[in-house]
Amino acid sequence: MTLERLGFETLFSYRSGGILTVEALESILFLAPSLQTDDFLMNKEILRMIQSSIGRKWIVAVTGVLMIGFVVVHMTGNLQMFAGTPDKINGYAHLLKSYPLVLWSFRLGLLATAALHIWGTISLARENRIAKPVGYAVAGRKSRLQVTLTSVTMVISGIILLGFIIFHLLHFTAQVVDRSYASMETVVGGVTMPDVYRMVVTGFSKPWISLFYVVAMALLFSHLRHGAASVWQTFGLRDRNSAQFIEMGSWILATVLFLGFSSIPVAVLLGVLKL
Amino acid sequence: MKLHLRVWRQQSRQSEGSFVTYEADGLTPNMSFLEMLDVVNDRLTKEGQEPIAFEHDCREGICGSCAMAINGEPHGPNAGATTCQVYLRSFRDGQTLTVEPWRAKAFPVIKDLVADRSAFDRIIQSGGFVSVGTGQAPDANAIPIGKGIAEKAFDAAHCIGCGACVAACRNSSAMLFVAAKVSHLGLLPQGQTERKQRVQKMVAAMDAEGFGNCSNQYACEAVCPKEISVEMIARMNRDYAGAVVDQI
Repeated sequence: MTLERLGFETLFSYRSGGILTVEALESILFLAPSLQTDDFLMNKEILRMIQSSIGRKWIVAVTGVLMIGFVVVHMTGNLQMFAGTPDKINGYAHLLKSYPLVLWSFRLGLLATAALHIWGTISLARENRIAKPVGYAVAGRKSRLQVTLTSVTMVISGIILLGFIIFHLLHFTAQVVDRSYASMETVVGGVTMPDVYRMVVTGFSKPWISLFYVVAMALLFSHLRHGAASVWQTFGLRDRNSAQFIEMGSWILATVLFLGFSSIPVAVLLGVLKL
Repeated sequence: MKLHLRVWRQQSRQSEGSFVTYEADGLTPNMSFLEMLDVVNDRLTKEGQEPIAFEHDCREGICGSCAMAINGEPHGPNAGATTCQVYLRSFRDGQTLTVEPWRAKAFPVIKDLVADRSAFDRIIQSGGFVSVGTGQAPDANAIPIGKGIAEKAFDAAHCIGCGACVAACRNSSAMLFVAAKVSHLGLLPQGQTERKQRVQKMVAAMDAEGFGNCSNQYACEAVCPKEISVEMIARMNRDYAGAVVDQI
């Protein structure tokens, strides 16, 4: 793939109003030399296949699994709030922030993952809406046998979760929701570090913040109940025998995450976790 | 036995359709749903009205022609049966039934209950075949195929291409149909040569026809008159990933 063959204008041609067209992806490939091969046509075919219905379903599933991995680790880290001493979670937070290169690689990776997940679902959902312009006058019973409330609300739960994530980042990472966070510091083992424990307890002492977090985690439950089961189907690993275990597994995963995350605001409101 | 019908009447592709109410009288519970429509059409013809257009051919559940939704259910209320295999004993005397054509952008209504399903033919043309040398018929059992594989391939081959999967899907996705065809040929030794190209081309053709995308709610499996499992879709997803890896 050479610059002449690609054409300079390709870098700027986002044809047909799509967010990620073949041309746009080619430009990205052009910028990543390790992904280039000599066979231009072959690459183009791969790009078309990745952007097909199934290709985008794979993208949504792979990025979904990566984000599930993240929330599991995130919840495990959060549960250190219950360690009995604030030093535990403060030391953990300090550890994470002491390698800026690793930290920022993770953050940018997660951002890219979330962006791909959102791009995939929006483009798929838009096509789905166009594909069914007229419904039936009477709602069928049989065709809804395996349809669940969590599966029909994936887009809504996803959008609200996105809003929640932005709020969450503004709250604890950017610290603009409560500006006093920036001055909360503690000393552990002679090292001065941000007092994450105090930030969490202070934040969740406000009932509306706690309520918002618990509602958001209920939506995470809903999103993963369907999402975590669906990835097996997209990866081609679901069959008649494994289906019941996959459905059960998604229930367990979603429930554990809901309880694990929600336990912290609830514990603060109940006075179990206090300053 | 008596039924109140609300039937979708639409003159042509271009015209607007609407529901028209008909009273079907003098029925017996052992009539099939299509025979009941025949009775109504007989009367309409005698009265000088235009009969209700609907597709039918074999009337024994294997051709996939009798595409219509009864009370929002593709092929009616029974599991694993086409419309022609639905008998009036499945309904209550005096029940109101709403009869509609398949609803999907890729299946435009031609007339009344008849939707244009030629999108499926074009998907088949793109790769739903095996290229074999013609001439003498090969010996039966010349290529040994294990019982398990043969059964699985046959499960997929049951697909009659009726389009109920698309009709039931909230996204009008054709993935169960395409997956059945891909799996049926991809499981057998005769289909191996073109396996990767087949899944790639058939998915591309499916996307080009304007079908939606599977969101794993499995309505297709519930309404399929041949009870084809969504396992086939999982197989297709796996095969497709294999075809992408093959390109690298």
